[in-house]
Amino acid sequence: MTHHPYPLKTRFWTPGVVVLAVLMAAGALTILARFIGGIGYVSNLSTARPWGLWIGVDVASGVALAAGGFTTAFLAHIVGRHYYEPVVRPALLTAMLGYTFVVLGLLIDIGRSWAIWKPMIFWNFDSVLFEVAMCVMFYLNVLYIEFVPVVVEQFKGRVNLPGPLAGLNGPAESLLGLADRVLGKIMWVFVIAGVVLSCMHQSSLGSLMLVAPTKVHPLWYTPILPLLFLTSAIAVGYPMVVFETTIATSSFKLDGEMRVLGPLTRITIWLLGLYMALKIGDMVVRGTWVYLLDGTAQTNAFLAEMILGVIAPWLMLLSDKVRHNRRALFAACAMIVGGVLLNRINVFVVAYKPPVSEANYFPAVGEILITVGLIATLMFIYRFLVTHLPVLSAPAREVSS
Amino acid sequence: MKLTRRGFFKIAGATGAAAATNRSAPAGASAPPDDPYGCLVDLTRCIGCRKCEEACNRVNGLPPPEEPFEDPTVLNRLRRPDEKAFTVVNRYFPGQLDASNQLVPTFVKIQCMHCQEPACASACIVGALTKKENGTVHYDVTKCIGCRYCMVACPFEIPAYEYHDPITPRVMKCTFCFERISKEGGLPGCAEICPTEAITFGRRQTLLKVAKDRIRDNPARYIDRIYGEKEVGGTSWMYISAVPFEKLGFIDVPNEPTPKLAETIQHTLFSYLWSPIVLYGLLGGIMWTSHKNRAEDEDEEGDRR
Amino acid sequence: MIRAFSPGAPVRILVALMVLVWAAPALAAETPDTDELTLNPEWRAPDQETARERAKEVVPFIEAVVDECQLCRQQRLRDVGLGVKDITHSYFLLDSPIIKQREDYYGPVRFMHTKHAAAIQDCAVCHHARPADKAAKETVRCSACHQESFRGDHPDRLGLKAAYHQQCIDCHRNEAKGPVDCVGCHPKNVPDHKELVKLPADPEPWDVTAECLRCHPGAGEDMLLTAHWLWKGHSAYTLDHQKKVMHGKGTTAINNF
Repeated sequence: MTHHPYPLKTRFWTPGVVVLAVLMAAGALTILARFIGGIGYVSNLSTARPWGLWIGVDVASGVALAAGGFTTAFLAHIVGRHYYEPVVRPALLTAMLGYTFVVLGLLIDIGRSWAIWKPMIFWNFDSVLFEVAMCVMFYLNVLYIEFVPVVVEQFKGRVNLPGPLAGLNGPAESLLGLADRVLGKIMWVFVIAGVVLSCMHQSSLGSLMLVAPTKVHPLWYTPILPLLFLTSAIAVGYPMVVFETTIATSSFKLDGEMRVLGPLTRITIWLLGLYMALKIGDMVVRGTWVYLLDGTAQTNAFLAEMILGVIAPWLMLLSDKVRHNRRALFAACAMIVGGVLLNRINVFVVAYKPPVSEANYFPAVGEILITVGLIATLMFIYRFLVTHLPVLSAPAREVSS
Repeated sequence: MKLTRRGFFKIAGATGAAAATNRSAPAGASAPPDDPYGCLVDLTRCIGCRKCEEACNRVNGLPPPEEPFEDPTVLNRLRRPDEKAFTVVNRYFPGQLDASNQLVPTFVKIQCMHCQEPACASACIVGALTKKENGTVHYDVTKCIGCRYCMVACPFEIPAYEYHDPITPRVMKCTFCFERISKEGGLPGCAEICPTEAITFGRRQTLLKVAKDRIRDNPARYIDRIYGEKEVGGTSWMYISAVPFEKLGFIDVPNEPTPKLAETIQHTLFSYLWSPIVLYGLLGGIMWTSHKNRAEDEDEEGDRR
Repeated sequence: MIRAFSPGAPVRILVALMVLVWAAPALAAETPDTDELTLNPEWRAPDQETARERAKEVVPFIEAVVDECQLCRQQRLRDVGLGVKDITHSYFLLDSPIIKQREDYYGPVRFMHTKHAAAIQDCAVCHHARPADKAAKETVRCSACHQESFRGDHPDRLGLKAAYHQQCIDCHRNEAKGPVDCVGCHPKNVPDHKELVKLPADPEPWDVTAECLRCHPGAGEDMLLTAHWLWKGHSAYTLDHQKKVMHGKGTTAINNF
């Protein structure tokens, strides 16, 4: 546990990064098309289906899968388990990038992107979306503030701007110093605020669809949907950390950090177990299990979400062997991540049945290209930042195991 | 890390106070208007002439239709209101035969129902959609950000969107001719043009009485139900019919206003921001305790942050 | 089934188009010799003038009527001795300012009072209620009871327009006789084409056709599908009759723009 985060300074352009760049270019072109021809030009959204892939994946899943940020902050900084410190920064970075891309996704999805600031002025307290928007806005700022120390740590005393900007070295330096002094004292405000804001909007994302009781399939429409969203977000937090840390460490050929990740997922057994119990309990109490075997696409999506995304990985995590095996742990965590992803897609897209129109929705190529492009950009920036800033702290692997 | 209870409550208190002031700001139109305007559509009177569509197009300055309003073949398919037509008339053959064994058509005009407790207005993130005193569910484009949550919320699948406008798309739906009915003696375009008064315009309470009288006086002509009297908490537009509404494409909706559950949860959890404040206090307490313990145990780690 | 669009309509449009083709040069040229040919525009048939004046009248609104069944009403009319013979006006122009103040999209309907009465032989069908005031006449005009739509004091009293339409269409449909579409009864208000038609000083025939097609492109397309254009050889209808039309416009006409 003596390792301190450090910038990796590895070679940036690998074949994988080139693939990312290609996907980013395709996404950028599609975004251009969206802002020339309109949403209707690149998507299959309609009167009957106003929300699709962008809301289901870019926004709802983006928020859910960024839950690693506040769950690790809670564990390491609020409860004070500093043992888990090595995963806090990567989780924070993921959350920061995740929320940034939630906002970018929203800018593409909403019709009047230039008016996105209007909820700050025009308030509707009846609107769940208003609360979500406010929380996301504040939380995004909190995340940026929480990330400032990482930047300070890298550049404090080392500011060396190139060429004509060299004159700004002094002011930049004093700014960093100020941030260092002030933030150290008040960071606790933001750490707690981050957790509170997360709990608020993670749950409220679930309340969003409660406004349409006649349109959402009863398997998902439940008064405890906000609670399910909150518990699933909390449950997916650590698996998401495992998921991304494993990908990052194997991509950069670093040590797998199993000493941290193994114990982390012990907690997940309880968290995921709680979510599973609530979900199954809700199904039993409301009697919606009668739908389970009716063979519709919606029911099958529910079964996939529950069996592959919750029950199977939960059973896997119960085993000590799985938790100590890097591959098996990765598989279990990937399934949990996939399960929550599928859950969000299900709630916002699959469960949604317009009352009149029969038309089915499947995302258009344009929608997929934009979503994939955004995710590729996120990964690209993640890679760029961990290369240049002290985020990851796993030591390089001695010999490939 | 220094956390004092006092410092913590200062911040929490400030947040709470800010929230309390916010709460007293005009909270949209939560209470439905007492006696709004409404329209009673008598499906037994509608002759399917589509004059209402034409008038709607004219008074709202909508683009010309692909098929002319005089073209009766349009009725061969079921249509929905869209961003270019706020109202459409559909033809159904519910199964009655006339004297010469021909199926008798029933025509159904569709438009925004102007709910008493509109889901779209509850959902709208900026309050661009509001229920006005005169009954209109009014859309203010200057507030709209285009999130389309209103379209998700609407139980009648009414609001349409200008998906092909890249920068300034609008939510498009029946305006209940807000400007026109705000004037003394003003009528909605459709109600004014209707040759048979299939659309009766008036105060909602009056219309309910008219509808009940018509049903009582002609029990053979009408089924005993006013669609819109209780549906989703009542709507400003109401229908009476000779055939069950289920056969005419009407949506089966609950009598409870659909946004009720979401609003209740939201207001219970977040009025005066009590739950975030409590949570903040709780977490602050945990953090304070854990850091105090830690500081006592070992100094070096505690100072790191 | 109602016929909102009578099959006669394309023919009408075509006729109108033909009339325009011939009339337009005259309209545009405004040469003095055409003036002598037109009739004095100030002159109007006296009976039509009376009908027009009568249509403009608005009579006091009748608040209350006697509530009675149709059979009672028929009996009462028989008792009073009112019948078709008592008709004072043989036709009406339905052109009330009550309707016109709201809208004016169609020309007035000419209602043949005597003809309808003779066919139905039952005044109670239309004169279905009498004023509650004992001193009032037994039968009154429609617009005495039916005036503005959606009156606050009588919310379910039909307005005049709806009263006309419901009465006419219901009866025409039930009797399977009489028009049930708009232009079956109304002449559509055709805008004054004097201002709309723009032609050169001395137009060629094809100039006129082109000008018509400028606003009515569909009429040109329709024309190309008619026998008038497509005729080749004898027409079944004209063979061995007086008019022997051998060729369609499409094959031999000079002005086949």
